[in-house]
Amino acid sequence: MREDPIKHFFLWPAVLIVLAIAIFPLIYSLANSFMSLRLVPPIPPRFVGFDNYIDLLSNERFWQVVKTTSIIAFTSVALQFVLGFAIALALVKKVPGENFFRVGFLLPMLVTPVAVALVARQILNPTMGPLNQLTTFFGFPNLPFLTDATWALGSLITVEIWQWTPFVILLLLAGLQGLPDDVYEAAELENASPWQQFWGITFPLMLPISAAVIFIRIVESFKIIDTVFVMTGGGPGISTETLSLFAYQEGFKKFNLGYTSSLSFLFLFVVLIISLVYLAVLKPYLEKYK
Amino acid sequence: MSVRDLRGGKRYWVFAACLFWLLLTLFPLYWVAITSFKRPIDVVGGPTYLPFIDFQPTLTAWIELFSGIRGEFFSNFWSSAIVATSSSVIATLLGAMAAYALVRFPFKVRLLSGVAFFAVAMGGFLLGRDVLGFNPVTASIIAFCIALALSVFVNRYRLPGPVLGNDDVVFWFVSQRLFPPIVVAFALFLLYTEMGKMGFKMTDTYFGLTLAYVAFSLPIVIWLMRDFFAGLPVDVEEAALVDNVPSWRIFFGIVLPMSKPGLIATFVITLAFVWNEFLFALFLTNSRWQTLPVLVAGQNSQRGDEWWSISAAALVAIIPMVIIAGFLGRMMRSGLLRGAVK
Repeated sequence: MREDPIKHFFLWPAVLIVLAIAIFPLIYSLANSFMSLRLVPPIPPRFVGFDNYIDLLSNERFWQVVKTTSIIAFTSVALQFVLGFAIALALVKKVPGENFFRVGFLLPMLVTPVAVALVARQILNPTMGPLNQLTTFFGFPNLPFLTDATWALGSLITVEIWQWTPFVILLLLAGLQGLPDDVYEAAELENASPWQQFWGITFPLMLPISAAVIFIRIVESFKIIDTVFVMTGGGPGISTETLSLFAYQEGFKKFNLGYTSSLSFLFLFVVLIISLVYLAVLKPYLEKYK
Repeated sequence: MSVRDLRGGKRYWVFAACLFWLLLTLFPLYWVAITSFKRPIDVVGGPTYLPFIDFQPTLTAWIELFSGIRGEFFSNFWSSAIVATSSSVIATLLGAMAAYALVRFPFKVRLLSGVAFFAVAMGGFLLGRDVLGFNPVTASIIAFCIALALSVFVNRYRLPGPVLGNDDVVFWFVSQRLFPPIVVAFALFLLYTEMGKMGFKMTDTYFGLTLAYVAFSLPIVIWLMRDFFAGLPVDVEEAALVDNVPSWRIFFGIVLPMSKPGLIATFVITLAFVWNEFLFALFLTNSRWQTLPVLVAGQNSQRGDEWWSISAAALVAIIPMVIIAGFLGRMMRSGLLRGAVK
């Protein structure tokens, strides 16, 4: 660490941009969320206090949307983690063709989510899609992949898993490669079975990075909009509508600015609560294995 | 060969499982690729899988796409490419500078001055708009400048309350990623629209979209580059210091060239992030600077089930990222991303 006034010249451009483009709009939104403010029809802004928030919290649709988003986020992240961990283990254990697998497995997370959703719509098409052919072969023709509430939710979760398991693989693999070999050599001398080695060594050592990966994925999954926007548009009905999509509909279709601002703040609040609970639950475990 | 490697018959089971997952990974990409070469009859008549065997490939969809029969696809491709490349370059450069400053120089920020910024900005904005009757943009700009000046000023005095260090500044940057982007995208859309009313067109402009993307890429860049700079040896810089080389020349002349691999990795990750981004483009653009994801998302509602042309459009968005995937795969093997995990 050294002192030099030039440090301000290095840091400030980034700080200014983030302050102006990310923080200030946040403040602007917060201020609007206590207002009754509409663009269509235009009415003068009026201070309404917490009315928008109370309105939302008593709105059944809001709770439905929170539930849908949580189901998508938690289910898909849990499955991503299990699958991703298994695949990362396989790769770190030098499965034949490992180098080729690495690049192949990485692909989905870089593919534009909107494009993925369009491909999913083709594959899930109930009459001309290849998946329909497969299920017909097993005796279930024309399943309502995107038109029935439960199936549509399942389809969205599957697409999320397809797209984001690579991210879990990438980070867990990097973590696994950093584990020391000597612990495993010692375990081998003690004749510990692979199962014992996994639960006794690998899993505890990987706990901090696992926690971080799951955290990042949950936070990111809560933001989901593009996949839903293209695949189901929130339908059937509002059964697959997520928080971001709900806010988009309210803001862009109805131009109800105050209401939308308070909605996005409640959204922020939901994410914050989940993060805090997650960190609080995990803290004792993380400290135990430090 | 280490003790952790697989041995015996188990290897082949694991291999088979990996092959199965690879199949699942690649099938959708294969599917979109072949669909773009199909004739309408081969799509509507039920799934067909192998070119030349159960369907006759044709270039119709691609020719239609490139000849511009179906809208200005080309110009949107270039908009996308220009916005993605330039915002990644700017974000990588500014982020690297900030990360370097945060690794090498001590910073002290009083919590109280941060709180002051927040309170003054919000209060000033409300006061300006609703009491003094300024329009929202003027009120925003004035409130922002006063709040910033005041918090910088307040920070110089010994005030009570905790003092935040470099790690907290990094955390502040990274925590931006926690916020749902819709909060900001919507507010930014409103501010941009208001600015448009005053004569500064911001929605659907190169400047407006790039600015938003730079702001949202900076946290990732700072996070990745900080670890990279922290891993660099200090001796070279110290030697240069002894020779009285100024800090800015140390950074641009010595540190940046040394960090080329890290900069490239960060640039590529940012590029992928911006290229695929949907929400900001949806809010902030509508025609000229609309990026590919928004355009591609609209295909389905515009054309119904014309999957051959939709697939071709989707592929244009996918292909640059496939190239980047090959690139990232190579970097991953060389262990470049390992530092980012810690």
